[in-house]
Amino acid sequence: MDSSKELIKATNLLLETASLLMVSGANTIRVNLTINRFASVLNFKTSCFISHKSIIMTLYEEDTTRTCTRVKNIPPHAINFSIISAISKISWDAVTEDWTLEHIEKELEAIKNQKRYSKITVLIAVSLAGAGFCNIFKGDYINMLVAFISTFIGLLIFQLTHKEKFNVYMRIVLGSFIASLIAGFGVLFQIGSHPQSALATSILYLVPGVALINSFTDLLDNNIINGMVRFTTGLMTVLAIALGLFVTMLIFKLN
Amino acid sequence: MMYVHLIEVAIWSGIAALGFGILFNIPKSTIVTVFVLGFLAGLIKFSLIKLEVHIVLATLIAVLFVAVVSMPTAHKIHHPPVVFCIPPVIPMIPGYFAYETVLSVMNFIFIEKDPAKKLLLIDSIFSNGFTMFFILISIAIGISLPMLVLRKSTVKKLDN
Repeated sequence: MDSSKELIKATNLLLETASLLMVSGANTIRVNLTINRFASVLNFKTSCFISHKSIIMTLYEEDTTRTCTRVKNIPPHAINFSIISAISKISWDAVTEDWTLEHIEKELEAIKNQKRYSKITVLIAVSLAGAGFCNIFKGDYINMLVAFISTFIGLLIFQLTHKEKFNVYMRIVLGSFIASLIAGFGVLFQIGSHPQSALATSILYLVPGVALINSFTDLLDNNIINGMVRFTTGLMTVLAIALGLFVTMLIFKLN
Repeated sequence: MMYVHLIEVAIWSGIAALGFGILFNIPKSTIVTVFVLGFLAGLIKFSLIKLEVHIVLATLIAVLFVAVVSMPTAHKIHHPPVVFCIPPVIPMIPGYFAYETVLSVMNFIFIEKDPAKKLLLIDSIFSNGFTMFFILISIAIGISLPMLVLRKSTVKKLDN
């Protein structure tokens, strides 16, 4: 009785870890690797099917009939590299120091409660990144200022709509439309030497870089289903960005 | 003057990399690494472009550099490579080519009526669109190839 309880507890813990990694934007290779590492610490074997929305996992002991199979739904994705790094770190510590189930549970709980960067830090950092992009695409300092402001307001809208639980692609269309609309005024009034580059870079804060890169690493490792899912997500995001930009271009009649 | 401009663009690449790193919530101890990698990647890419290397090849080399360097670095600063090799390649994303492509497509469909000018727009759609496509492919290959070629799913070694 006691040992089966432990099996269930271990399965739940591993599922929680896998789900946390998927949500934070780890690729499938890394999720599998971490799960296997934790399972070996707890002296179990594991097989699992990982998809975008749910994970199916079987935990078993090598020479007995004791198994536990569970399915877990994955919450909406929110990229968080700190969590990936911290989980990777505790997985190594767990192997070297032979941690118990309770110890891993406690550490995982601490990782879950880690603070993110504050919203205003993110806003300023990403707007600076937008200005940097504008410089890369040959904009001058006035263009960079336009890119900074439009990224700032676009991202602010994107963050605010998050609270209202809008559909994510709707939020991307809106974010892309508003950012490009503000940068579009720069083109209309010919502010700076390359106002077009400010317009082109104002929407880049939405690019699905992590989804696309993960999709290729998954595809190259033969995780075809996950690779296709991530690629489709990335493609949908790009289409949503293009749609927002499209509307701005129609309004300003750019050509 | 040329070098000053190169350094300036590279610094902005580093800032762009760092900005995206913060958006992805990278650990505080990797902030410097992300900036330096973004800076070096930008420096390599724009120097190569100055030397008249095609932008696709220049991007591939810069991204390969980031991916290769990130492995020994991962071991040194005790963070998995994904954490600090994805943000530096984000500034390589061909935003301007994407923009030009969308603009040309829109003009082609909604505005232009003159067949001669429509031909020019087709040229613009293809050249910008495929440059964008090839840059994206080279980013994807550059970032994942070193990991897969060296057959290491993890960089960290245990000494026991």
